[in-house]
Amino acid sequence: MALRGFLRRFKPFEIISENQVEQIHESTLDVLAEAGVKVHHEEALKVYKKGGCTVDFDSKLVRFPPALVEECLRKCPSSFRVKSRNPEHDLVLGLDHVVFFNFPGRDIVDLTTWESRPPSRQEHIDLVTVLDALPSVHFLNNYPYFGYRGIPENMKEMEGAAIRLAHSTKVTMEIANNDIDRFTFRMAKAIGTEIFANPNASSPLTCYTDQTNACFLAAEYDLPSMIWDGATAGSTAPASTLGAIISGNAEVIPYIVLLQLLKPGARVAVANLVLPQNMKTGAPAFGDIGVSLHLAAYNQVWRRYGIPMVASASGVSNSKIIGFQLAYEKTIPSLVAAISGSSAVQIHSSVYGEISSHPVQAILDDDIAHMIGRFVEGMEMNDDSLAVDLINRVGPIPGHFLGDAHTRRWWKREQYVTRSADRLTYPEWKNGGKMNEIDYAKQRLEEILSTHKVAPPLTAGEQGEIERILQEAREYYKKTGLISSSEWRDYMKTLKDEDRMI
Amino acid sequence: MSLKGFRRIFKPLEILSDEQVEDIKRGVLAVLQNTGMRFESEMALKLFQKHECMVDFDAMKVRFPPGLVEECLRKTPSSFYFKSRNPAHDLIVGGNTTYFCAFPGMNTVELDTWEPRRATRQENREALIVLDALDNLHFLTPYTPYFGFDDIPPVLSIPESAAAKIRYSTKLQFSGYQKDCEVYTIEMARVADTEIQGMMESSPPLTYYGDAVMSAYRFANAGLPLHITSGAVMGGTSPATVAGTLVTSVAEIVGGIVFTQLVKPGTRVVANAFVFPQNMMTGVPFFGSVGISLHEAAFNQIWRSYNIPVQSSAIGPTNSKGIDYQNCYEKAIPALVAALSGAHIIQFHGGVYGEITHHPVQSIMDDDVAGVIGRLIEGIDVSDQTLALDLINEIGPIPGFYLNTAHTRAWWKKEQFVPKVADLLPYGQWQKEGKKTALDRAKERMNEILQTHRPVALSDEQEKEIQRIIDKAQSDYAKKGLL
Amino acid sequence: MAEEKKDILDNLKKAVFEYDRQLAARSAVEAVEKGIDPIEAMNVMTAAIREIGQAFGKGELWLPELVGASDAMQGATPILEEEMERKGRHRESLGMVVAGTVFGDIHSIGKTMVTTLLTAAGFHIEDLGINVKAEEFSAAVKKHDADLLVMSALMTTTMTEQEKVIEALNKEGTREKVKVMVGGAAVTDEFAESIGADGYDPTAPGAAELARRLLAV
Repeated sequence: MALRGFLRRFKPFEIISENQVEQIHESTLDVLAEAGVKVHHEEALKVYKKGGCTVDFDSKLVRFPPALVEECLRKCPSSFRVKSRNPEHDLVLGLDHVVFFNFPGRDIVDLTTWESRPPSRQEHIDLVTVLDALPSVHFLNNYPYFGYRGIPENMKEMEGAAIRLAHSTKVTMEIANNDIDRFTFRMAKAIGTEIFANPNASSPLTCYTDQTNACFLAAEYDLPSMIWDGATAGSTAPASTLGAIISGNAEVIPYIVLLQLLKPGARVAVANLVLPQNMKTGAPAFGDIGVSLHLAAYNQVWRRYGIPMVASASGVSNSKIIGFQLAYEKTIPSLVAAISGSSAVQIHSSVYGEISSHPVQAILDDDIAHMIGRFVEGMEMNDDSLAVDLINRVGPIPGHFLGDAHTRRWWKREQYVTRSADRLTYPEWKNGGKMNEIDYAKQRLEEILSTHKVAPPLTAGEQGEIERILQEAREYYKKTGLISSSEWRDYMKTLKDEDRMI
Repeated sequence: MSLKGFRRIFKPLEILSDEQVEDIKRGVLAVLQNTGMRFESEMALKLFQKHECMVDFDAMKVRFPPGLVEECLRKTPSSFYFKSRNPAHDLIVGGNTTYFCAFPGMNTVELDTWEPRRATRQENREALIVLDALDNLHFLTPYTPYFGFDDIPPVLSIPESAAAKIRYSTKLQFSGYQKDCEVYTIEMARVADTEIQGMMESSPPLTYYGDAVMSAYRFANAGLPLHITSGAVMGGTSPATVAGTLVTSVAEIVGGIVFTQLVKPGTRVVANAFVFPQNMMTGVPFFGSVGISLHEAAFNQIWRSYNIPVQSSAIGPTNSKGIDYQNCYEKAIPALVAALSGAHIIQFHGGVYGEITHHPVQSIMDDDVAGVIGRLIEGIDVSDQTLALDLINEIGPIPGFYLNTAHTRAWWKKEQFVPKVADLLPYGQWQKEGKKTALDRAKERMNEILQTHRPVALSDEQEKEIQRIIDKAQSDYAKKGLL
Repeated sequence: MAEEKKDILDNLKKAVFEYDRQLAARSAVEAVEKGIDPIEAMNVMTAAIREIGQAFGKGELWLPELVGASDAMQGATPILEEEMERKGRHRESLGMVVAGTVFGDIHSIGKTMVTTLLTAAGFHIEDLGINVKAEEFSAAVKKHDADLLVMSALMTTTMTEQEKVIEALNKEGTREKVKVMVGGAAVTDEFAESIGADGYDPTAPGAAELARRLLAV
C-alpha cells in the first residue's frame, strides 16, 4: 500500500536533445571542478576532503572531482518509499509516477477583499485537514501557512509541523533553519513517521551551515532528503535557462555528494524553485514562462541522472486573487512539469507568491492535479478500446453509442469529472444562483471539514511526546535569545488559551 | 511576408507509440472499407462510384477501397500558403509552426452579470478590431466573433459575418455553410483579393450531410483550402474510449479528404478535431474536460504521421459562464497540449461559455496565454552563450551575482515572456494602485486598442462590391422564401 | 404457474437492470404465451426504469445506464403493447408523449436521451423515430390523443421543420390540446418562442423536468 500518484504512460516530452543534456552535464562537472562551491560547515569540509575533494579550509571552497560526482549520483536510488505512520499514506517517489503536493503561503487570504493576514490556529488545522482529505495531495510541504497568530517567529514552523503531524498522516518535510529540523525529526520519530530533510542551496554556489547540517541529520535519522534550488535567474543565477540549470545543479550536487559519503544509498530527490527575476520590481517573476522552460530541461537532466525530481516553481503565481491569471500561471508549468518527467509537482493551495494560501484554492487545485494526472496516464489501447467491431456495428447516423455496454464499461475510465467546477447550462446556472467554481469549492470545503478525520489519530501518548519536544524547543530558543521576552509572554498566553501549557 | 506564428524547435509530444498509431490507422481503413460512410449527396456518391468505391445509392452509403484512401491522403499537401489581402497576415500552414485562431460565440456576455445577450453590429465590429490587433492571434473563425448581431436574419448571419471580417480585419478567415451561403462568401473573398478557408463538418458517426458536401465541393473547385472537422462526442456519437473515437473521428475526416481530393487533387486541407467527451449527466458535450486533451494529443500525432496539417478546435469553449479561474484552466490545459503535440492551428481566443458567448476582453486575456504557450514551444536556445559556463566560473559563489552582467542584459528578455495584462505588481503596490486584476487590465487594454488600432481598410470599390454581394444574398434568399 | 410467472417477471426486471435487450424480448414473448397480464409485465419494467432514473437523479448512475436500460426495455415494449391492444387494455401513465426527430434530420441521440428520462418519470412514449414529416407528427398527436409533443432537430437547417409541425397542428385543430417541446443543438429559447413552442431546455434532465411542469404532473 502506498501513495504512488499517476503513472505516466508515454515517454516524457523532451525540450532539448540528448546531446544538449550531455553538454549541461559536462558543464556542471566543470563548474564543480573549477569554480567549486563554498561550504560553510567544518565537519562537512572534512567529509569532502576524506572523499577526495580539494578543500580550502580557510575560504571554505570545495572543488569536486568529476568521478566522485558521477559515482555519488549513481548511488542515489531512482525510486524510494517514505514511510508514514499510516501505511496507506506511505509515499513512493519514482521516475515514471507523478505525485502532487501543496505549495505554502505565509498567510490566509480573504476571498472577498483578497487581502491576506496570519491565520488562526484553527484555520491552520483546517488547511491541513483539507490537504489530508484531498486525494491528489500525496504528501505535504512544510508550513502550509507560516505558523499562526500568537506564535513567535522561531516557533511558527515547528508549531505548524506539530499540526501537520497530528492532523495528517501524509508524509511531510521540514526546513533546515535554526535547528527547527532537529526538533521536528524527533517529533516525527516519536510518532513513527518518516519525514524529508530539506537542505536548500544558496545561490550562487554556496552551502550554508544550517542547510548542510540537515544532511548530517538526515544521515543520523536515516531520512530521505529533498534538496532545493531556489535561485533567481538573472540575479543569483545566469539569466539563460541552461546557465541557471548548470549553476543550480552545481549547487545541489554538493549535498548529494555529502549524503552519499555519509550514507551510501541515501534517498534523495531534487526540487526546483528557480524563478526568473521580474526586471521591473526585482521580485521573482512568479508564473513566468521561464519557469516552464527551466522545468522541462531540468527534468530531462535529472532523468538522465535517474534521481526523482520535484517541480516547485509550478506552484506559485503573481496573481493576488483566485482568477484567470492564477489559473494559467500555475496550470501551465504544472502540466509541463508532469509531462516532462517531474516525479512530484507542487500546486495545491497557493494564491499569491509564497504570501497567501487558502483551502478553497487547494480544492480547486485538486481538480487540476487530477486532470493533469489523468492526462499523463494516457490512453488504453487494445481491441476493446479501439472498438472497431462496435464502430462497424453502430455504423453511420442514426447509430449512436450512448446505450451500449461498451460505453457503460469505458466512459468513467476515460473521463475525469471535475468536482468543483460549474458544468450547468445557462438556465440551470441562473436558477441555481450563478454559482462559480469558487462557490463549489467552498461547498466542498464545508463538506470536508465536517466529515474528514485524520486516520489514525495520534494517541494521547504520542500527542504528549510532541508537546514535550515542542516545550524543549521553546526553552532552547528562549535560552539562545531567538525568542524575546515579550514574544515569550505572548506565546505563553497563546498556549494557555489553547490549553496547551505544560 | 507572412505571420510568423510560433515555431516549435523540439520534437512534438507523443502519447502514442508508433505501433499504436498504426493500430488506429488500421482501424480507420477497416471501418472505411467495411462499413463506410453515409454521404447525403448524389453528386458525391456518383463521384465515388466513378473511382471504384462501393456505393449503395438507396442507403446513400459508400465504402472506400484502402488503396484509394491512401492515394488521396498522399495527394493532400503537407503545408501550404494561405493568402490575405494584407501580405503581413498571410499564413504558411504546416511544418513546425503553430498559429492561434479565434473561437466564436452566439452572443456577447455582460462582464458584470455574466449573462449573454445578442451583440450589436458595433460590438461585432469592435470584437473584430481587437482580434485584428492582437499579436498572438493569427486567424479568424467562421462565425467570429458572433453567430449574428443586431436583427440580422439567421440566414444572412454567415454572409454578414464574413463581410464584417473582411472589412474590419485582414486576418484570414474560415467560412461556414448554411443555405449555400458559401457562394457569397467565396465571391466576397475574390473581390477583396483574399483567400478564405471553407469548412466540411462530419455528422458523427460516419456521416456527411448534403450541405457539408456542397461546401467542400465549392471550395475545392474554387481552389481554396478547407478544414474538415469531426465533431464527435465520446460515448454518444463515437465510442466512449479515446482510442475508438480516434478511429471514427479520423475515419470521418479521411472520408472527407477522399471526396475533396477526387474533386480537385491537391486541395489544401486541415484536419480538425472538435471532439469532446459526453457529459453523462446532462447529455451535452463536456467542455473543458481532460478527455479533450487526450484525444487531441493523439489526433495531432496521427495527422502529423499522415503529413497533413492539423487543427485543435475543442479548446475554445469552456463550461464557465464568466472569465475566471475555471475558464482559464479549461482552455489553458488543452491549448498547451495542442501546441506541444504539434497542432498547426489552435482555436482559442475569445470563447467564454460553450459556443454561447464570446468577448473581446476574453480575447485579450487569451492572447497573453497564447503568448506564454507560444514562447514555450519556441524552446530553449542552446549555445556556449546560454550555457554560460565561463560566466558561472567567473562569478563563483556568494557574494557573486549576475544582475549587473552583460549576459543578463543580453538574455533575460529572451528567456521570459511578459504578458500584457497580467498583474505583475508586488503586494503593496497592487493595493495602492487599486487592486487591479488581469481582467481589469484587459478591459483597459480593450479601450486602448479601440482608440488606436486601425485595420487596413478595403478600397471604396471593394467595399461597394462586398455590399453588392450582401444585397444579392438578401434578394436571393427572399426569392427562395427564406427571408 | 405462479412460480413460472414470477420467473418471467423477474427476468423482465433483470433485463432492464442488466441492459439485456434480448432477454427482455424473450421474456416478453414468454409472458404473452403464458397469459401474463401485459400491463403487469410493462409495469415491472417501468418500475425498474424509474428506479434507475432515481439513481440517475442522485448522481449514482448516468446517462449510459439510463439509455442502456431504456434500450433493453424497447426489446419488450412492442411485443407487450401489441398484446395490450389485442386485449383492449390501456396503461396508466403520467401522460402520453409523441416524440420524434424532424424531417431531414436523422439524429436520434437527443431524442433518445429525453424520451428515456420521460419513460423513467412515468410517461408513455410513442416514438416516431427519425426523419419524421410534419403530417406524420400531426397524425400521431391526433391518433394517440397526445398530451405532449417532443421534437428534436440537431441542425440549423432542420430546426425550422419544427415550425412546420406546429403549423400542421394548428391546421388540424390539435394545437391547443397538446404541449409542444422543441430541442436540438441549435435551438434556443428565443427560437422556441418565435415558432410558438411551449418550451425548450438544453439538457435531457432539464427537458424531462420541463415536461412535468408543462403538464403540471
